[in-house]
Amino acid sequence: MYLYSKSFHASLAPAVDVGQEHERGAGVGESSSPRQNVRKNLQFEPLSTTALILEHRPANLPAKSVEEAEKHQQQYEEMVAQARKRELKEAQKRRKQFEDRVKLEESIGNAALTWNQEILPNWHTLRSSRRVRDLWWQGVPPSVRGRVWRLAIGNDLNITHELFNICLARAKEKCSAAPTTAISTADTGSSHADREASLELIKLDISRTFPSLCIFQQGGPYHDVLHSVLGAYTCYRPDVGYVQGMSFIAAVLILNMDTAETFIAFANLLNKPCQMAFYRVDHSLMLTYFAAFEVFFEENLPKLFAHFKSNSLTPDIYLIDWIFTLYSKPLPLDLACRVWDVFCRDGEEFLFRTALGLLRLYEDVLTHMDFIHIAQFLTRLPEHVPSDGLFSCIATVNMTCRSKKWTQVLQALQKDPERVSPVPKH
Amino acid sequence: MAYAYLFKYIIIGDTGVGKSCLLLQFTDKRFQPVHDLTIGVEFGARMITIDGKQIKLQIWDTAGQESFRSITRSYYRGAAGALLVYDITRRDTFNHLTTWLEDARQHSNSNMVIMLIGNKSDLESRREVKKEEGEAFAREHGLIFMETSAKTASNVEEAFINTAKEIYEKIQEGVFDINNEANGIKIGPQHAATNSSLAGGQGGQQAGGGCC
Repeated sequence: MYLYSKSFHASLAPAVDVGQEHERGAGVGESSSPRQNVRKNLQFEPLSTTALILEHRPANLPAKSVEEAEKHQQQYEEMVAQARKRELKEAQKRRKQFEDRVKLEESIGNAALTWNQEILPNWHTLRSSRRVRDLWWQGVPPSVRGRVWRLAIGNDLNITHELFNICLARAKEKCSAAPTTAISTADTGSSHADREASLELIKLDISRTFPSLCIFQQGGPYHDVLHSVLGAYTCYRPDVGYVQGMSFIAAVLILNMDTAETFIAFANLLNKPCQMAFYRVDHSLMLTYFAAFEVFFEENLPKLFAHFKSNSLTPDIYLIDWIFTLYSKPLPLDLACRVWDVFCRDGEEFLFRTALGLLRLYEDVLTHMDFIHIAQFLTRLPEHVPSDGLFSCIATVNMTCRSKKWTQVLQALQKDPERVSPVPKH
Repeated sequence: MAYAYLFKYIIIGDTGVGKSCLLLQFTDKRFQPVHDLTIGVEFGARMITIDGKQIKLQIWDTAGQESFRSITRSYYRGAAGALLVYDITRRDTFNHLTTWLEDARQHSNSNMVIMLIGNKSDLESRREVKKEEGEAFAREHGLIFMETSAKTASNVEEAFINTAKEIYEKIQEGVFDINNEANGIKIGPQHAATNSSLAGGQGGQQAGGGCC
C-alpha cells in the first residue's frame, strides 16, 4: 500500500498528511528516521515488477539481445508509470475521504455546539422554528441525541424514578418466583399464563436483540439493563405485557440514555396511539393504519402500487416489522437513529413516510420482481441502505393526498371501517 | 427457472423453537446459532424436484409469540402445507401444539398437509419430550411427523420435501383442485406447456413469474 518514494511525497505535498494519518492510525508511527526513509525509497520500486525483470540473464544462458533488453526496459518503465499513476489515484482518493471525514466531524461538532448552547436551553420556544427543524432533519448529533429524544418524547405519563424502581423491584420478585409459576401455568394456556410467560420470553429474546452488536447478550454490558427495562414495563403495563419487537426499541434507547430515562422514554413512546395499536396487536386498527398507508402509497408511487396490487403484496408483510421495531431491525443502526430523530420531530406519520421513501429508493428493482422476491427483499433489506439516498427519497414523499393530511386520512378511515379490507388477501 | 407447481408453505409454532433456523438451513444450507427475532413474517423460496417435476416452494416463516396469533391467522390462507414446529427441549412448546393445530385447521383449507416437527434433536441431553410422544400426537391428529435438527441439518431436507410429496400425491389423487389458488398451489408455466392434461384442459393459467 505505502509505496511512496521521497520525491513522490515531495511532489504531492498534501498527500503526505494523508499517508501519515493512515500510518498513525495503523500504529506504524511517524518518526522519520533516516533508515526508514531509505527503506521507503527502496520500497517505491514496485517489488512485484522488479522481481520479474532480470536485468541480465544468468551466466549459463545466452545474453539478451539489445532489442530485447530495450523492450524489457520499456515494458518495465510502463509498469512503473502505471503503478505510479495508481498510487497517485489512491492517494487522491484517500485525501478526499479524509477531507470528507474532517468536514463531517466538523459539522457534527458544530451542530452539537448549536444544539447544546442554543437549542436545548430554549427548547420550548425553538423546537418548532424553521431553523431547528431543518437542522433536526439533517440528523441529531449522537452526543445530544438522548437529550433531544427525551425532550421530544416527553413524559405525559408522569413516570418518576421512584415508580420505575417500584416496577423494577416487582419484576425482580416475579422473576425469582418464576420456576413455580412456570410449572403451574404450563398446561392452562390461558392468556394470564402467557403474560406470566412473557418474563421467560424476555430472557429468550434479549439474546436475539441486535446479536451482532454483542452487548445485550448474556454477559454483555447491557444485558441486565435491557432485562430490567422490559421486565419493569410488564409490571407497569401488565395489560400490554412484553411483545416481541419491544426489545429493539428499549435497546436503541439504552444506547442513548441511562436506565431510568430509558424506561420513562420507552413507556411514553409505546403509549403513542400508533405504537399502542401495534403493540396491543389491535388487528383492526392496524389494518386501518395499513389502509391509510396505501392511500399515500398510491398517491406517491402509483406504478409500484399497481404492481404490488397485481402481485397481492399487502403492506402488512413489510410494515409490521418496520413499525414494530421503528426501523431499528431492518435498517443499519446509525440510519435507524436518523429515522428516529425525525420520528421524534414529526410523529407516527414519519414512520409511514419512511416506508414510502424506502419503496421509492428501491422502486426500480421492485418493479421487476414477483411476489416472493419483493417479500424477501422488503423483509430483509440490503445491508447497506444509503443514508443520504434514503433521506432524499423520503424528502420527495408527499404526505398530503387530495389536500388531506395523514391524520385526516387516518381519522376518515377510522370512522368508515367499510373502506378498510377486513382480512388481507394472499 | 420454470416450475411445474408452486406450493405455499407456512411455518408455525411457539417462539424460539427454531422456525427461522429450519428455513435458513433448508434454503441456504447454513445454521445461525443466534438468529434474529422474527417480527411479523419472513420468506424463503427453494426449488425441489419430485417425480421429475420442478416444484417451487414459497415459504412463509411466521412470528411465534401468542400476541401475534391474530396476524399469523391471516397467513394460513392459501397454504398447501404447514410445518408445525416444537422444541424437544421445552415441554411447553409441545403442550401448545393443540392450540396451534386448532388455529391451523380453522383458518386453512381442509386439505392442507401438516407436518409435525420436533426440532433441536441434536440436544439429546436436554430433551424434555420423548420421540414417542411426538409420534403419538401426530398419529392421533393425522399429521406426518419428524424430528429434525436445524443445527446439524438432520432431517431438514426430508421434512420440507416429504411435505411436498404428500401434497403432490394429493394432487395426483385429485384431492386438491389445482385451479383454485386458495388451495396454495399454482401451476407454473413449465407445467402448463408440457403437461396440459393434468391441468384439466384449463392450463392457460400462469403463475406470476416463472423464475426462482
